[in-house]
Amino acid sequence: MDKEILKEIFLLILEVIKAFCEMLWEKIKGFFRLLWDRFFGVADISSPERGEVQEWGDTGEDTWPVTSKESFVRTEESLPPKERKGMADTPAIPELPEDYGDNRIVLMVRDTGCLFAYWELRKEVLDNILNTLGSMAHSAKMVLRIYDVTDVIFNGNNAHTYFDIEVTGGTRSWYIHTGKPNRSFCADIGFLTPNGTFRLIARSNPVITPRAGVSEVVDEAWMSIEALYEGIGVPEGFGSSESVFERVCKGWEEIQKESVSSPEASRVLPVLKK
Amino acid sequence: MEKGYLSFILHAHLPFVRHPEYTEFLEEDWFFEAITETYIPLINVFDKLIEDGVDFRITMSLTPPLISMLTDTLLQSRYIRYVEKRIELAEKEIGRTKHQSEFNRLAQMYHGYFTNARYIFVEKYRRNLVAAFRKFQDAGNVEVITCSATHGYFPLMNNNVNAMRAQIHVAMNHYEKHFGRRPRGMWLSECAYEPEIDRILREAGVRFFIMETHGILFASPRPKYGVYAPIVTPSGIAAFGRDRESSKQVWSAREGYPGDFFYREFYRDVGFDLDYDYIRPYLHGDGKRSNIGIKYYRITGKTDQKEPYSPEKAMDKAAEHAGNFLFNREKQVEHLSAVMDRKPIIVAPYDAELFGHWWFEGPRWIDFLFRKIASEHKTISLITPLEYFEKYPVNQVSTPALSSWGYKGYHEYWLNESNDWIYRHLHKAAERMVELAKTYPCRDENPLQNRALNQAARELLLAQSSDWAFIMKTGAMVEYAIKRTKEHLFRFTKLYDDIRSDKIDAAWLSDIEGKDNIFSDIGYHIYQ
Repeated sequence: MDKEILKEIFLLILEVIKAFCEMLWEKIKGFFRLLWDRFFGVADISSPERGEVQEWGDTGEDTWPVTSKESFVRTEESLPPKERKGMADTPAIPELPEDYGDNRIVLMVRDTGCLFAYWELRKEVLDNILNTLGSMAHSAKMVLRIYDVTDVIFNGNNAHTYFDIEVTGGTRSWYIHTGKPNRSFCADIGFLTPNGTFRLIARSNPVITPRAGVSEVVDEAWMSIEALYEGIGVPEGFGSSESVFERVCKGWEEIQKESVSSPEASRVLPVLKK
Repeated sequence: MEKGYLSFILHAHLPFVRHPEYTEFLEEDWFFEAITETYIPLINVFDKLIEDGVDFRITMSLTPPLISMLTDTLLQSRYIRYVEKRIELAEKEIGRTKHQSEFNRLAQMYHGYFTNARYIFVEKYRRNLVAAFRKFQDAGNVEVITCSATHGYFPLMNNNVNAMRAQIHVAMNHYEKHFGRRPRGMWLSECAYEPEIDRILREAGVRFFIMETHGILFASPRPKYGVYAPIVTPSGIAAFGRDRESSKQVWSAREGYPGDFFYREFYRDVGFDLDYDYIRPYLHGDGKRSNIGIKYYRITGKTDQKEPYSPEKAMDKAAEHAGNFLFNREKQVEHLSAVMDRKPIIVAPYDAELFGHWWFEGPRWIDFLFRKIASEHKTISLITPLEYFEKYPVNQVSTPALSSWGYKGYHEYWLNESNDWIYRHLHKAAERMVELAKTYPCRDENPLQNRALNQAARELLLAQSSDWAFIMKTGAMVEYAIKRTKEHLFRFTKLYDDIRSDKIDAAWLSDIEGKDNIFSDIGYHIYQ
């Protein structure tokens, strides 16, 4: 009986020693892993944590700019597929050209009340204009001048209204909040002096913001599309019932707010996975 | 006799992701998951409906990048490898779960699911799933339409008519090559309508497209029937508007069907749940945990304590939800037909990948819905947009309003601080492409130059894919989207410089032709 107890105690001590050794071994392993990560930057891949897997390909490094053109010379045969190692061997992405040698401003519509402009200006053009300003050059500010050109063929002087936005700090794009749906706009970028002189550097394309509500126009023309595809337009019929329309219009704002469309929810499949 | 129509539309699209330079590539899984979880289940549903003599109509857009990937031999063989790995894992899972009956029967379900996917892909359709959709189209059940060549977002490229024209014509030609006839409809990527494209669509022979609700409601003159009948644009193309009620029931995070507690939980995947050493052989080379496609739990509720999935209960729910959807459409049609002097059409477009991928039971829901419409319900019939025209050839002329189905209804998701930097480069590249096409009008004198010009067109189109701007905004996988944008723009710019200086690097050109091999028979003259 005593022997049995002694045996039990002995086994118990063995278990404790074993557990202690295992703990120690884990600590040592952890320490070496830390060292490894520190010096070789390899992440602990055994982490079971679920999270955003932010990773991407390191494709096409053979196509990035290099000093000699010969380096581009590769054939399909010389490039067997290789195993992808994740972020670790990702090459630097070459930056896109800073400038294309243009002197221009482009205006885009974002929504009913917001435009986006980007521009690229040539230094010699800027210098020439500043020269013409003489002593006022140093106090001239660069501004975006946004014109409301609805229903006019804009010649620089016939806009309904305009407003200026000072653009500083070498910025090359701007979001312009007009808050005006269904209107046409054009943007100039130029220098404005304290006495109000405006010198144009570049003029944008005109744009039209979309309508933010139902059309006031209720005239109805009807067309047979089949006939049109045979080359004959047949507008016919007139009507005035708006009941269906009014019904379906109700709550259109709601749909926009809710964004029930959410194409973003399923397109590009795993992008939104938690 | 029906009182109105339901036009069910699925938009199937994935960006062109193909990396022959690697043995495997995580982002290619987007495509493999969609094949397994969406395209094959839908094909199975359509095949079974036809076999059972159920008459149905559905309109599906298959985008050119998706068709290109579905018919690409490299991706086809990689898909087989993908699905076979899953069959192998499912076999192991059957063994691992042999003492847990609830999981064991699910493991068996997945084994059958992947085995079937392999059979459909390899044996039934000989690796070419496009053939399946062509078959359904020829049978008169599916109307396949196209989309802009690389899902280019028209309103944000509207300063270059040639660029928009190329997106449209390349897509039309690509479709014709695969379906043996011109497409009749075009899905505008993100339903983004830009008034300028109207005449280009007409010139290309497009008969109809789908718009977001307010694109029709805000059209001018005011459309008499709202979104419940098409309008005809000034160029003579029919525009159909999305019905928000039917969208909401399926899409809405709060009220939508896919959130039902009995449906399969998307976020509990064995790729994350199981022991790392056990699952490691099924992960990618980098060893990061990722979704495998075997998911054992149901949504259960707002809790982390998920309960095992029950396919039978989920199917009961899908049937119930199909009934509910139809009941609501019936009420809608009854109401509308009382106030309209023609039968209304309810247009219900969705992203195809919602069905099966996100909403596992989605394809079965469609199956239940179509069977119910065919057998039980006389108020509603399924119809394609063009069939509706045959019934009502005369429609109101109106100019649609610029719009999209994205966040807030316009372009903000594709034009914001996270991605606005791309447009100056995209616009410049498009401008240069037009310049090249006009400078080098002859196509045959210099074969190498001709190849470089065609490749430049491919690189531009790939850079224009709206997916990259979209991903940049989502905040996940952003680096990949940035990299793809820069990569295609870089390749384009180098081609431009090489062509202009008459120093085309033949070996490098061959290399990128092998990588970006979309639109093999493109002709750059489309930009002239």
